[in-house]
Amino acid sequence: MTEALIVRGLNKTFAKPAVTDLDLTVHAGELYALLGPNGAGKTTTLRMVAGLTQPDKGEVSIFGVDARKDPAAAKALLAWAPDEAMIYDKLTPLEYLEFVAGLWNVEPKAAKTRAEELLATLGLISEARRRCEGFSRGMKQKVALAGALIHDPKLLILDEPLTGLDAAAARLVKDMLQARVDAGGTVILTTHILEVAERMADRIGIIAGGRLLAEGTLEELRNRAGEASGRTLEDVFLQLTSDASSEGARA
Amino acid sequence: MSLPFKPASTPWLLAHELRLAWRGVWSKRASRGVGSLIAFAILGGMMLIGGIAAGLGLRGHQIPVIPLSVAISDLVLAVIMTLMLSTTLAASADALYERGDLDLLFSSPLTPRKVLFVRALAMAVNAGLFFMVPAVLLVTPSIVLGHPAWAGLFVLLAAASLAASGVGLLLAMALFALIGPRRTRTVAQVMAALIGAAFFLASQYRNLMGRQASETLFARVAKEASHGAFKPPPFADIPLRAALGQPLPLLIVAAIGLGLFLFAAQTLGRRFADAAAATAGAETRKAAKGPTRAFAAGAFQATVRKELRLVARDAALLSQVLLRVLYMLPLAFVLARNAAHMPAWALAGPAAAVTFLAGQVAGSLAWITISAEDTPDLLAISPTPIGVLNRAKLTAALVPVALLLAIPIAVMAWFAPLAAFWAALGAGLAAWSAGLINVWRQKPGKRADFRRRRGGSVLTALAETMITLLIGVATGLAVAGLLAWAPLPLIVAGALMMALRRTDEQIAQALRAASV
Repeated sequence: MTEALIVRGLNKTFAKPAVTDLDLTVHAGELYALLGPNGAGKTTTLRMVAGLTQPDKGEVSIFGVDARKDPAAAKALLAWAPDEAMIYDKLTPLEYLEFVAGLWNVEPKAAKTRAEELLATLGLISEARRRCEGFSRGMKQKVALAGALIHDPKLLILDEPLTGLDAAAARLVKDMLQARVDAGGTVILTTHILEVAERMADRIGIIAGGRLLAEGTLEELRNRAGEASGRTLEDVFLQLTSDASSEGARA
Repeated sequence: MSLPFKPASTPWLLAHELRLAWRGVWSKRASRGVGSLIAFAILGGMMLIGGIAAGLGLRGHQIPVIPLSVAISDLVLAVIMTLMLSTTLAASADALYERGDLDLLFSSPLTPRKVLFVRALAMAVNAGLFFMVPAVLLVTPSIVLGHPAWAGLFVLLAAASLAASGVGLLLAMALFALIGPRRTRTVAQVMAALIGAAFFLASQYRNLMGRQASETLFARVAKEASHGAFKPPPFADIPLRAALGQPLPLLIVAAIGLGLFLFAAQTLGRRFADAAAATAGAETRKAAKGPTRAFAAGAFQATVRKELRLVARDAALLSQVLLRVLYMLPLAFVLARNAAHMPAWALAGPAAAVTFLAGQVAGSLAWITISAEDTPDLLAISPTPIGVLNRAKLTAALVPVALLLAIPIAVMAWFAPLAAFWAALGAGLAAWSAGLINVWRQKPGKRADFRRRRGGSVLTALAETMITLLIGVATGLAVAGLLAWAPLPLIVAGALMMALRRTDEQIAQALRAASV
């Protein structure tokens, strides 16, 4: 099986350790959900994978490309969409997508067609030439998502992609992500909405205190937590993270 | 720490505003290090020494109320009022759009009138302090050394800032009623910049209009006043008399200042709340019409296009750049006009000044395009090398400067081609150098911090100024025909540039360090 992402021995310390000896493997064509309480190290991990934060130690490989040795080649394969939309208020969605497509060197004609398709799919085509400054948070999130998809990345990394979206928009985004995975794409996302991970994720990683506590399918996680089948991901998550915090307290 | 006033009272709300303002100023100063505080202390000390010297010199002397002193005091007050008005107009427009705590205040049981009153008072304090602090340092020694009545100057300044705050609010609300919420902010910001520059332009009308208007505004008034030809209109002596502490004029200026302020604050209270509510979502513009442009090809072109769009659409930024450009205008006029009938050496000074200002404008724009990036993470995640992005951003900063310089240089080239060549070369070099410094020494910041960017890195700003000044000198020497001397300042500028230079890797490292 091709691995979309391999992380080995990843470490990052700010004032205190944020990520410690993290190993992670995401297979190509799967939707991987990274879960954890606030401050667990999810965003720091993803930022290191995306090349936004330099790890103190460790290796990151994206589709076989060493992200630390050849960051440009690795970045060409992925897209990153954080919880706060990275857009310019004074640009229109179409202008924003033109800029992002330029950054990833997408052929202009193809980029324009794809931009219009994406905006249509996301219900933003009527707003395509209006500046983003008056947009709601949900609309800005959708523009940012279109930006992440404009160069058709092999690996899509999303940090809390459903934050600020209404029910209809959240459903639309979930459907788009599912369609992407069905078409062979790879998606890694963090979320606090455990039902999303439970329903959509092929595999789930649970992180706390900068360490990966458990990883696997929902069934594997249930077994690991000693929970009976039929228990929800929320039960499993709370069981695993509370075990970790009590171990941490004892240590 | 709780505030020592009855909650929800006007003094309580004012104390809250002032506490926030003080903490904001203090945290900015502290973040810029001890050097900034020492620089302010030295400046204050120098002013105080100057004030003591003036106090000793003026001991036993009185300022006569004659046409000349009246004309000077009125002109100075007019300049101060104009600058205060430019501050309060921009602040009034901003106050309508700053949603931060406005929604909280208007959703509370406080009356809109009280909220506006306190906001307006805070604006007056802000506008007044800029002049009050130097005035206290310069005039207090004279007050102590035998002129206690001169404390009237402080009342005059307070009245002026109150009046400016009231007029600023009235103007902003009038704009709001006339042109609507979407354009008010833009127009107010541009107007504020123009008002601020108005006196500079007025003082330069000789350069703008030509030699036949042979006196500057200030020189003309002073000359006529000293010859007794100038008769000040009735009541023109009131500001001077108030500053000198005469009771009736003091009462009059205080009443005018306070009256304007209270009138604006009391009458606009409800309207201000309604206008502020109407600004929510007012930034929404109509969608553009017509066929869409083809997408840019590649990262360089896409980045240049994006930066030019952002620069052109940022009204606050444009007004600030416009201000710098306004200072270039008289010099450009001198260059173009003198080129027709003056020898080349007479163009040396203006050519040097245009070169220097071209560097300054380019530096400002380069800071905006390079350091004030709204989505640094988007660029960092892209596979485009940082060098390509920096070159594109530098290009975007230089394009407007080139456009600005094109007309005066073209006119000059018609009459004095060689001088035009040196001026174009010098201005281009200064702009490019200032841009490069901003690439090498980029320091991520917000567009809103544009006005305070010089505070970011004092040494870099100083080096940028020095280098553009040296290139200006070299340009002046070349235009004057002293070509052999021109390399000297260029060598010094080149050495300074080499000292500031950073590789792409070093820039990336510095940015990473700054983002941690």
